[in-house]
Amino acid sequence: MRSNIQHHIIFIGILFLTGNVLFAQSYTFPEYTSYQLENGLTINLMEQKEVPLISISALIPAGAVNDDTKPGIAYLTATALKHGTTNYSKEDIDKTLDFLGAEINTYAGKEFAGLEAGFISKDLDKVMPILAEIMTQPGFDAEELQKEKDRHLAGLERKKEQPRAVIGQFFDQLIYSDHQYGTITDGNLSSVQSITREDIREFFNEHYHPSKAVISIVGDFDLEAMKERMENYFGSWKGKEAESTSVDGLPELAESNQVLLVNKDDATETTFYIGGRGISRNNPDYLGIMVVNTFFGGRFTSMLNDELRVNSGLTYGARSRFDTMKEGGSFYISTFTATETTEAAMDKAIEVLKKLHDQGISEQDLTSARNYVKGQFPPRFETSGQLAGLLSEMFWYGFDESFINNFNTNVDQMTTEKVKEIISIYFPKDHLKIVMIGKATEIEGIAAKYGEVSKVEIESIIQ
Amino acid sequence: MFRILLLVFVLCPLLLSAQLKASDVDTFRLDNGMKFLVVEDFSIPNANMYLFYKVGSRNEYQGITGLSHFFEHMMFNGAKKYGPKEFDRVMEFNGGANNAYTTNDVTVYTDWFPAASTEVIFDLESDRIANLSIAPEMVESERGVVLSERRTGLENSPWRELIYLINGMAFMEHPYQWPVIGYEDDMKNWTQEDLEAYFETYYAPNNCVVVISGAITTEEVKKLAEQYMAPIPAQPSPPKVHITEPEQKGERRFTHYREVATPYMMISYHVPEATHEDYYALSLLSAVLSNGNSSRLYSSLVDDKQQVSQIGTLFDASFDPGLFTIYALASPEVNTEAIESGIYEEIEKILTEGITEEELQKVKNQKLIEFYQQIQTINGKSNNIGTYEVFFGDYAEMFNAPEAFNKVTQEEIKEVAQKYLTHQNKTVGIIRNQPEN
Repeated sequence: MRSNIQHHIIFIGILFLTGNVLFAQSYTFPEYTSYQLENGLTINLMEQKEVPLISISALIPAGAVNDDTKPGIAYLTATALKHGTTNYSKEDIDKTLDFLGAEINTYAGKEFAGLEAGFISKDLDKVMPILAEIMTQPGFDAEELQKEKDRHLAGLERKKEQPRAVIGQFFDQLIYSDHQYGTITDGNLSSVQSITREDIREFFNEHYHPSKAVISIVGDFDLEAMKERMENYFGSWKGKEAESTSVDGLPELAESNQVLLVNKDDATETTFYIGGRGISRNNPDYLGIMVVNTFFGGRFTSMLNDELRVNSGLTYGARSRFDTMKEGGSFYISTFTATETTEAAMDKAIEVLKKLHDQGISEQDLTSARNYVKGQFPPRFETSGQLAGLLSEMFWYGFDESFINNFNTNVDQMTTEKVKEIISIYFPKDHLKIVMIGKATEIEGIAAKYGEVSKVEIESIIQ
Repeated sequence: MFRILLLVFVLCPLLLSAQLKASDVDTFRLDNGMKFLVVEDFSIPNANMYLFYKVGSRNEYQGITGLSHFFEHMMFNGAKKYGPKEFDRVMEFNGGANNAYTTNDVTVYTDWFPAASTEVIFDLESDRIANLSIAPEMVESERGVVLSERRTGLENSPWRELIYLINGMAFMEHPYQWPVIGYEDDMKNWTQEDLEAYFETYYAPNNCVVVISGAITTEEVKKLAEQYMAPIPAQPSPPKVHITEPEQKGERRFTHYREVATPYMMISYHVPEATHEDYYALSLLSAVLSNGNSSRLYSSLVDDKQQVSQIGTLFDASFDPGLFTIYALASPEVNTEAIESGIYEEIEKILTEGITEEELQKVKNQKLIEFYQQIQTINGKSNNIGTYEVFFGDYAEMFNAPEAFNKVTQEEIKEVAQKYLTHQNKTVGIIRNQPEN
């Protein structure tokens, strides 16, 4: 076997050189129909007749950016949609869906509220009337709302047990301060306690309207018959005329490093984010930024994971991410490490970020990142649920199937020159915004090394 | 022509999943005992390789607990042809990604890649099975990684801690008693020799089932398997795990203090292994109790009495007799005795009255759609086919599962509940705040 070594080395060389040739096959987005009802509701329909399943994804411009003085109201409204409708009690809904093995989930994120459903196609006419009423005629049962609030309040109390569940929210507060994007979607104790059924009804009337919403359906159905159904179920959905979501301009960030130190008394490790302002989803360099981030902190061999995990054993994992929304976004490095190795891990993370700026990406590393991004792309659109979700996202963020169809070509156009430009424009270098969650008495001194420190308790996220 | 071909790629996956049948799985075994299961699926230009090694924490003993999982990590740290870091670098350069997981029973390595890179994946996998090289400096940095993995799991989830504790009490003799991640002191003391012995014993081609699904033909897989895997010599069969957990003769109970918003509770009952005739009835019983808002436990304890904010059951296929667990998260100000009684009341109803015909049909419907969803993707196919092959002894059992569920009667569900959900067979664990004083 020893004699194979030489042969193997040559073989690796060939693989590196021919990296691009391996990816002749690519992915093309399936055909679909897109149109609007008279009330402005956008409908996307993609037939996939061969499977006995149907998936639905709907987005409504009713996210937490609209919470205003009642943090948590978008969340509670979305959840309460399933608490009974004009013609179905909560019990009817639960029993019917459970019996069919069907799922309808409603949720609210920062920017939009949404509904996702999946069921066997033969049950279409049993599920659809329920789904349509959930979206357009919720009853907001008072007793169910009280139960939901109690469960939710208990959930809020538990957040202090889980640093990873709250660190993103602390980070957003640092990045966006009072801006709508800093809103905490699940609200806080006093606000959730005070929200009434009338508040929810009002929020629904104000924000759940068809003109800025989308419903995408993928699966086994007949196109013409489905168009008729959509007209029947959603044609009479009125709702007031939508204003465009009024997101204010983003506030200026302080031109200095800032550290938010979050105390958790019983912590045995420090969980931290390091980052700054990022990009919006429609940034023209979106794809290029994703390729660079793959190399920097988006895969196992990334610069961050290599240094913080593989070389030093400081953590189980280190990564970086651009969180993108319609009008802006954030960038952060995230990891965690034992309390006693906090400084080593923070130093290392900042050093790796500096290295990205100083050294850029070599031709071979760029090829690797491009190959990886292309190779991992097709499985993201394999199921009817994934395709329905993608169609709705396209509507929300304003991109189309050319993003999919030109994906490989566009990824291949990334050059080391372009990479340099992207790093210097989009990856923060100075004025870093840092959140550390851990045992403050042990790490306070370390925190001060990285910038001006403000200190809060982990419970403050729900107060 | 290309465009048409691509269109076919896109439209096929669901067709194949809906119609996937046992005969679509091609199988062959190499002379060294390595078994292959292949599903050709050209729906997307990707493929995967799932390698199931029949080794997990049940094969360990005190002193080396956690070694199976640690070994899973070490499998990425260098072999003969591809040295430290090269496994991941070469895989990612070729568009592939990977992960791995370890359970009580098995260690599974998962590779996802463009089908055009299949040969590279074979080369990488065969290199580490044939010639893993365990470098001492990699052992030390990786030890830090798994200690961090253990710490971060405990830090972020009281459930994690409760599961460790309840296994430790429900199993007094069988190795299911220790956590897959290991005891902290063992983790700090594994030696190079432990690792080398483990590799010798368990990482043999005859102890591995390989599942490949995706845009590649069985013929091509066979050729690559012969070329890359066949030269690896077979090893003697690993020692059998001979410990059987003695029958539990009386309730066991513990309380563990930790700062929590409200108490966390688990009630675990000993139940048989996957191949036992009661498996399907137990699986449906689990669904009757906790699947969906109309399930027995949810509708009673969450919705009606509002004693808990979360409730569920855990029941999985296992090599040896395992646990059927009910877990609950208390609502504020509700005492755990009331919750426990509420759970027992619901169990009692099933023991005496059984379940309704409608309930039975409901959970059967749920199992069917679950089955469809699991095989919607090439990854779901490989994972499920491999799991059935190793846990039930035959991948074909996966295709019999809908029928096996369908055969279960109301009476059988009542019977398994009576047989296993008994007072003397249970262990109750609670995590709560330390009382003041």
